[in-house]
Amino acid sequence: MSVDATLPPAAGRGGFLASRTALAVVIAAYTAYTLGPFLWLATMSVRTTGEISADHYAWPRPFHWEQFRIAWVDSDFATYFWNSTVVVVAAVAVVTLVGAAAAHALARYRFRGNRILYGILFSSIIFPPQITLISLYQILVDYGLYNSLLGLTLVYVSLQLPLTVYLLEGFFARIPQDLFDAAKMDGYGDIEIFRRIVLPIGMPAIATTLILNFIQLWNEFLFAVVLITDPDKRTLPIGIRAFMGDHFQDIGMIAAGVMISVVPVIVAYVFFSEKLIRGMTAGAVK
Amino acid sequence: MAGTSALAAKTEPAERVPASGRVSDPRRASWPVLLVFLAPALVVYLGLTAYPAVRTIYDSLFTIEGAERSYVGLANYRDLLGDETFWIAVRNTFVWAFVAPILDVATGLLLALALYAGVPFARFLRVAWFTPVLLSYVVVAILWMWIYNYDWGVVNEGLRAAGLGTLARSWLGDPNTALAALIVTHAWKWAGFNMVVCLAAIHALPSEVLEAAELDNCGWAAKLRHVIVPMLRPTLLNLYVLAFIGKMKVFDLVWIMTGGGPLWATETVSTYVYKRAFNWNTFDLGYPSAIATVWFGVVCAAVIVLNRIFKTRDRLEY
Amino acid sequence: MRRAGTGIAALFGRSLIAAGAAAAAEPVQITMWSNWPDEPAKKEWVAARVRDFEAANRQCAVKLSFIPKADIYTQAKSAVRTGQAPDVFYLEPDQPEFLAGGFLEPLDGHVDLAKLEDWAKPAWTSKGKVYGLPVEAYTVELYYNKDLVKKVGVEVPPSFQLTQSGFADLVRKGAAAGITPVSQGVGDRPFPGGLLLFESLLRKLGTEDYGKLLNGTLSFKDPRVLEVMTWFKGLVEAGAYPKSFATLKLGESHYYFYQKPGALTFPDPSWFTGRAFASPESGGMPADFPLGIMQFPAMDQGQCPSCKTLAVAGSFVMYARGKNKACAGALLDSMATIGNGDKWVEQVSLQTGLKSDPAKINSSHAAYFAELNARNKGATYFFGTPLMYYRSKCAETYTQVMNNAFPAGLIGVNEAADKMDSACRKGS
Repeated sequence: MSVDATLPPAAGRGGFLASRTALAVVIAAYTAYTLGPFLWLATMSVRTTGEISADHYAWPRPFHWEQFRIAWVDSDFATYFWNSTVVVVAAVAVVTLVGAAAAHALARYRFRGNRILYGILFSSIIFPPQITLISLYQILVDYGLYNSLLGLTLVYVSLQLPLTVYLLEGFFARIPQDLFDAAKMDGYGDIEIFRRIVLPIGMPAIATTLILNFIQLWNEFLFAVVLITDPDKRTLPIGIRAFMGDHFQDIGMIAAGVMISVVPVIVAYVFFSEKLIRGMTAGAVK
Repeated sequence: MAGTSALAAKTEPAERVPASGRVSDPRRASWPVLLVFLAPALVVYLGLTAYPAVRTIYDSLFTIEGAERSYVGLANYRDLLGDETFWIAVRNTFVWAFVAPILDVATGLLLALALYAGVPFARFLRVAWFTPVLLSYVVVAILWMWIYNYDWGVVNEGLRAAGLGTLARSWLGDPNTALAALIVTHAWKWAGFNMVVCLAAIHALPSEVLEAAELDNCGWAAKLRHVIVPMLRPTLLNLYVLAFIGKMKVFDLVWIMTGGGPLWATETVSTYVYKRAFNWNTFDLGYPSAIATVWFGVVCAAVIVLNRIFKTRDRLEY
Repeated sequence: MRRAGTGIAALFGRSLIAAGAAAAAEPVQITMWSNWPDEPAKKEWVAARVRDFEAANRQCAVKLSFIPKADIYTQAKSAVRTGQAPDVFYLEPDQPEFLAGGFLEPLDGHVDLAKLEDWAKPAWTSKGKVYGLPVEAYTVELYYNKDLVKKVGVEVPPSFQLTQSGFADLVRKGAAAGITPVSQGVGDRPFPGGLLLFESLLRKLGTEDYGKLLNGTLSFKDPRVLEVMTWFKGLVEAGAYPKSFATLKLGESHYYFYQKPGALTFPDPSWFTGRAFASPESGGMPADFPLGIMQFPAMDQGQCPSCKTLAVAGSFVMYARGKNKACAGALLDSMATIGNGDKWVEQVSLQTGLKSDPAKINSSHAAYFAELNARNKGATYFFGTPLMYYRSKCAETYTQVMNNAFPAGLIGVNEAADKMDSACRKGS
């Protein structure tokens, strides 16, 4: 059984065993519910749209692997993939660092206006992006960042900043003050405290925000459509969108495009979630 | 790993000059230090978030047709009071935002507990249950439109196979079921995220408490109710508030799956704002800005109220 | 090594520029956004026009992008406000706000307007000036499956027009035989659900009163309107539309009509061909499909049985704040020739608002075209669809009520008429 070795002994063996079958059924059903649609999509990625329309549930026969080649080579997914990677990785890195620094300051230090600042930062989560879009567009044009990957990256940073600060502030505030007092005694400077105590201890929360920010930005569509017009600067969601024609939805190619865009995310998630769980079970925070 | 490195860091620098006597309040920092931490976030915030937001509030006082704008004062807000569609959108969004987060968080918690309790294949399930979070709204919307398809969708096929064919319906086309159908889809996408956060929080719980409960021979349900949920309270409430905010802004899924229809049964405030800004054959930004401004106030107030309620309850318990 | 490489590249680049400068002055770059990334025939037509133009005008270079329509609109709405919109872009007449906002350049000084069909100009005319190049035009047609209609026992008369009760009979017989009478879906479009009803209203009211209805000066409570709506409600209750009507997308309703499960009729604008004439593997119509075109049914005591909607769709406009209007205007002018009109009709199998010469058109779908022309012979055209007349709340109400809820059977005749009147009626 591939139970994490670090887990505490399985809780409540007594009554739990009795209902084990029922639980297994529920878990299997839920797994089918979450994974089913995804696997269904995976089968569609190797079927042509004609085949899919004829029978939505049939097993692929033959496997049209060439759809991936068509997407990657002919439809420029290689370029889109690279653009998405550059923009999202840069934006996530920046927003995590900037957000963590701000969250730390807000969580740890008492200063006048702390809560107001926190409130203001946090409240900007709420503004519907559909409406600020046009002002944002104007700003980017004014600074010559319109239609550039740098501009899109900055917008993404600003988009995810409030959420990052909110999540991290909540977590950082729960780090025991003793740790900081001790560090101060040892002569740590403020920056060192942040770098050598807050960041390592806060890793589980940081990992959570990393995952969330990465997923949201990787799939972001509205700003990518409006702020980028050059074909060679488009990101993956726009690439997939190209298969959703006005008259004709190329379902097979959409599915292939989605697979290309989602598989790396799954791999990254598997990797990060292992880190995440391990970080937490190391017992950093009591 | 994280914890040990922090501990190591703490004991290492003996040669460092200790802060010479003046044991200042460790919760205080000089302004330059604060500035180092806060300035980058504030710059980003002021330039790319605050300015557009302030601009939106300012725009809400105007009617804008093309390049011309004329000051109308609070007229947009007055119109809003009498706008039937707006109120329908508010009702739908409230239903969604207050009810659905319970679904999300409860599912997430149960899944996390299942994983924590050590079900077989936990590692695999952790990824499997998380996959919906990884898919973009566009893809989720397309998939679920197929799932709800009248003729060959999984839901109706399942009902027919179970001999309940009379219950089959056009789930997204019926005003009575469309909103619920969307809520289920949204919950499907987000339960996995709540699971991961809950799992992280459970792992972060002090193991002694859980072991003590074990020794007391607590039942599973009792343990859940008296130990785990109370201790996870801050996390769960945080998740609730996050989900609440997410739902107050819900847009993409609705826009693709129903466009607010049928008969405005799934109109949300965000879709209405977008319609008024981009789909009403007008360049008038004034009115949609007024909606956004009002809604901003409403959500802020709701979050503050939620935080108050949760805080007082907390105090009562401990 | 690396430096040598860049050096060569720089040299190469410089010599290229020098060569260009020798031939002509640095070309002026203009940008153009076109729809139709997913429709090869139209895409190729646009690309060929741009190539021809560039070959003939060395002083202009065109940066052409094909972008889905919805994205063009979203981008353009932000771009026109800040001076960033492309010099030439795609627009349809149902987006009147660009014109109203003063963002479009009149074509009068740039394009030879005599090369445009007179009936197409009103779509883009405002205060005596023409603002759009009406490349794509269409009529609203009622396609049907000849075999299935025969199979359910309905004879299409030589006039190719059923009566009001004849059409109701067709619907009933189809429903009884388990064949969906009318394939239609509103899952991703704001108009298809209104096609059958509004075409019927046009034939009942005649162009003048129908125009009043769309202008909001005639009430939906008018007895003639209510009569047609009641008849239509009867069709809905008899099961005229697919059960999946509300979520069926336009593309899927094509497939529903000519592949699976198959339907008797399919009301669609004549850009039907853009999808239907794709290869069957990519969801197009099977080659042997028994396609017919009939007229929408004649209404009892109808003012105008021969009436029909004609409209302009895909057009190209010039941005009023564009920096290179000379090149942009010359590009549009070069597109508007009779030869190009012929090519459009030939390649796209669709009408155009550019003048064309029917004698010279060599379509690979000649039979289809002959039938389309036959159905349009002697037709009295009403120009424009409801959504070209309706704006804001009225358009939204049309989309939610007439396009969706009413044909889906969710609300009754009076309720639908009330909702339309309260949103669209002028001076009420």
